[in-house]
Amino acid sequence: MKLLRLGLWLLRRERASGEWRVLLLALVIGVGSVSTTGFLGDRFKRAMRDEGARFLGADLLVTSPRPVDSWPAHRLTHSAALEFASMVSHGDAFQLATVRAVDAAYPVAGTVKIAAQPFAPGIPGRALPPPGAIYADQELLPLLGAQVGDRVQLGATTFRIAGVVTQEPGQPGAMFGLAPRVFLRADAVAATQVLQPGSRVTYLYQFGGAPDALAAFSEAMKPRLDRTQRLIGAHEGVETLRGAFADTDRYIQLAALVSLLLAVVAIAITAHHYALRHYDQAALLRCMGATRRDLRTLYLIQFGSIGLAGSLAGIALGALLQTALAHLLLPTAVARLPALGPAPVVAGVASGFVALAGASMPALLRLLHVPPLRVLRRDLPPLSGSAWVSAGGSLVLLLGLTAWYAGELKLVGIFVGALAGLALLLALLAQLALGLGRVVQRMSYGPLRFGLAQLLRHRFDSTLQLAAFTLALFLVALLALVRSDLVDGWRQQVPADAPNHFLINIAPHQEQDVAAFLARHHLATSELYPMVRGRLTTKNGQPIEATLPPGQADASTLRRELNLSHTVTLPANNRIISGRWFGNRHGAEISVEAGMAERLGLALDDELGFAIGDQTISATITSLRSVRWDSMQPNFFVIFAAGPLDALPASYLAGVRIPDDAGSVLPEFVRSFPGVTVLALDKLITQITGIFNQIIAAVQLLLGFLLAAGMAVVVATLLAGLDARRQEAVLLRTLGAQRAYLARALLSEFVTLGLLAGLLACVSAEVAMALIAARLFDLPMTLHPWLWFALPAAGAALVGASGWLTTRHIVRVPPMQSIRALG
Amino acid sequence: MTPPDSRRFPDGAVVSARGLAQRVTTADGELTILADIDLTVAPGETLAITGASGSGKSTLLGLLAGLDRPSAGEVMLLGAALSELDEDARARLRAGRVGFVFQSFQLLPALSALENILLPLELAGHRDARARAADWLARVGLAERASHTPRQLSGGEQQRVALARAFATDPQIVFADEPTGNLDADTGARIIDLLFELNARAGTTLVLVTHDAALATRCARRMHLVAGRVAARAPA
Ligand SMILES: Nc1ncnc2c1ncn2[C@@H]1O[C@H](COP(=O)(O)OP(=O)(O)OP(=O)(O)O)[C@@H](O)[C@H]1O
Ligand SMILES: [Mg+2]
Repeated sequence: MKLLRLGLWLLRRERASGEWRVLLLALVIGVGSVSTTGFLGDRFKRAMRDEGARFLGADLLVTSPRPVDSWPAHRLTHSAALEFASMVSHGDAFQLATVRAVDAAYPVAGTVKIAAQPFAPGIPGRALPPPGAIYADQELLPLLGAQVGDRVQLGATTFRIAGVVTQEPGQPGAMFGLAPRVFLRADAVAATQVLQPGSRVTYLYQFGGAPDALAAFSEAMKPRLDRTQRLIGAHEGVETLRGAFADTDRYIQLAALVSLLLAVVAIAITAHHYALRHYDQAALLRCMGATRRDLRTLYLIQFGSIGLAGSLAGIALGALLQTALAHLLLPTAVARLPALGPAPVVAGVASGFVALAGASMPALLRLLHVPPLRVLRRDLPPLSGSAWVSAGGSLVLLLGLTAWYAGELKLVGIFVGALAGLALLLALLAQLALGLGRVVQRMSYGPLRFGLAQLLRHRFDSTLQLAAFTLALFLVALLALVRSDLVDGWRQQVPADAPNHFLINIAPHQEQDVAAFLARHHLATSELYPMVRGRLTTKNGQPIEATLPPGQADASTLRRELNLSHTVTLPANNRIISGRWFGNRHGAEISVEAGMAERLGLALDDELGFAIGDQTISATITSLRSVRWDSMQPNFFVIFAAGPLDALPASYLAGVRIPDDAGSVLPEFVRSFPGVTVLALDKLITQITGIFNQIIAAVQLLLGFLLAAGMAVVVATLLAGLDARRQEAVLLRTLGAQRAYLARALLSEFVTLGLLAGLLACVSAEVAMALIAARLFDLPMTLHPWLWFALPAAGAALVGASGWLTTRHIVRVPPMQSIRALG
Repeated sequence: MTPPDSRRFPDGAVVSARGLAQRVTTADGELTILADIDLTVAPGETLAITGASGSGKSTLLGLLAGLDRPSAGEVMLLGAALSELDEDARARLRAGRVGFVFQSFQLLPALSALENILLPLELAGHRDARARAADWLARVGLAERASHTPRQLSGGEQQRVALARAFATDPQIVFADEPTGNLDADTGARIIDLLFELNARAGTTLVLVTHDAALATRCARRMHLVAGRVAARAPA
């Protein structure tokens, strides 16, 4: 009790000291960054969990690209639905929609709510619309300029909009609003004539019932499924949905963690310095009769209070910022997320304390073991050990924390390895840069020369500050480059005459009419490719599964049905890299895309078997092609020679460029060919890049924390050397240096440090970006002149500000008082 | 564990040493800092330990106060045999009963003058600590400087605060190591006056380390160290 009072009292007396402030700041930054992502991730996870069976709309879901005709005997409630993309139009307006054709039993579980007006509350009911009507997502209506009660065209039929869907079992697509949902009666599908032989359709079979009946059913069902068919329990359903988000979430969490790691470095430095400054205090307290335990309690109270205050403040900051992050990441889903949960609070406090305890414990332990005799013999050295021991200990602890956050050791390993490598590299670069600084210093004079001398004299500190700040700037810059070069740049790379629309689902009998329409309007178009859907099943007579290279057992190419086409002319943007193009030859020959061949271990002369409908067709690989996927032309993994596919039912596909000023061409096309699906590529790209940009913006928000953490490291190192600096300043002042001289020396030191960090970050970001562009995207390397101004300027401003704020008072101290302070 | 009151020791000593020696091993072999020290200090007695720089005065003081362990010999402090106590037990023995004054003042820079005096009182758990601290500050003539930090005080003022701190808990013994070493002659003399005044009033036992022979004469007893041993006679 008395120690508690004493501890809090000492803390209060020293609250103005730089150390407590830096500790607090570092904690707020570190905990703030992990809680921001923690809160959001937690909200999202709970949203997933709460959705449970409601997400699937069933206890069990079987999906298949083909109808499933026979089932094991069961006594489950069930429903059958099918889903496909289709155009919906209203007057001149049209929109691609995801149509789900349902029966009366849909959904088996969960609720669908239908409202008479957009954004009205909605009444729970069935998804099955009345005959002659559809239900639509409320987002669809404004896109079509339609209202409830209006008639819209869907394929060959018109339907009345009988209501809007305000809630339905979870739907990943809706999260990013790619294609609004339309509910249709299953018995109305045929009349629309939208479905053609090559159309991509997903058949959805929902089942519900008692757990043991479900278990027996899924056991019996599993052996009957092929690779393209999936059986999903309520739990896996949630996992699927999580998949995409969880990956994003994990990377964002790791980004947040970098800030925490930098904060730990700042804490370790500060705690080390705190201990150094308090050896006398500890020895004195021991003289006055405090036991080691008393001291421990005393320091635990002080550090604990700081830990608690810092963690709670960080958590509060995180709770505020997670809203911003949620809006950036999931603008359409924010309203559906549950409220803030308590779990991240616990995690936040835990990470705050682990960071603080880990980073300060070694320093504090040494403080506890100060010999009381030190009061008489000042030279008595504190126990050996260094800030690095502190930092090392806490880093180990934090690795555990990281693993816990990421939930995956391998990822953490890679992450930490990469970070360590980067840190090492940056430290090396920093050394080089300081070498450069020496050259500059020799040529300079006055305060600049003195400031640079300081920088070089505290070489270790300077390296640390430089590395920490460069890391922060580097990541910020890299992300900005990814955004400008890859996301936005990719769009500019697309050739000007590349197709911006895909027309798919063209029925064979429409082929001539569509070609004529396109010619009449002078539209640049690709060939009309026939398209047949099939599964790759065998290679040289063996099941394909048995022949896959290691690590490819789950290749996604095999999970989907492939779009198979046949043509005699090698498509533009394709290049034969081995074998020979079959051209006009008839026969069982195929040309395979080289990347797919590599993934699946396919080579020239392999004979592949495809299951197409209920037929099996075999053909031999006679050429391998490389394909420029970014050409935006229709591209195929597998192209057949004339012959094998001719007799099979196919639909046609074309890429077409419709100029922006083409006016009513598109509405006219949709009106003329209601069953044909028009995929607006540029719109899709805009949406996808929009999603990318959202994620990048979210990560950039977190990089704000990183910059702050970098500044905390700078302040922490400066603070540790402040006493020495003060002595120097006093000495200089007594020797006649003016305040302005000292101020300029300080400023030139920090501004130089910031400039160097900016330059290093520039070089690193340009190199990293060039590597990414070349290795991953085959893009040429480009330099970014603006970066070479922006980063050094930002570095100089931020480091200059934090350095100046930490040290400015040593300029202001009158020499007399300074001399006294030295005593 | 409360040690018996020093005033009722069987042999009457507040602190005593028998055959005390301190040796350290250095790179050049074993170094004897202290050897064959026997002494007894009775309650209320004032003892001056003198000697040249490096003669072992501070080492002896540290051993007597239980801040360090001797290589040989035994120290009895406030009725307890220090060799039987571990470091924490020795600390508990000191709490509130032993005061210190140092050459370098050793005030905590973050605390005000008043708070520096308050510190040992709080640590010993005194109830009216604050009033007591204020009272002691007034006794050393610094009542107006209560809220000033050590940095704002002169050396002499700082040492006065340190004196108040040493006596504030009503200790049975005060150890002072060169209390005037960092002060000019005038200020030093005034500090010594104050020290003896406070000591006389409280009847505290005082062990004072100094190399100043004149100062030593103000103590009832003197002990002179030469190279770690008690000299037969103190120099005049
Ligand atoms: N642990 C140790 N290791 C090595 N040498 C030591 C140790 N402790 C004390 N000494 C040495 O023993 C000698 C006596 O030290 P001590 O501090 O007791 O002298 P002193 O009489 O107080 O001197 P001063 O008047 O200068 O304060 C010194 O030479 C000192 O360097
Ligand atoms: Mg000494």
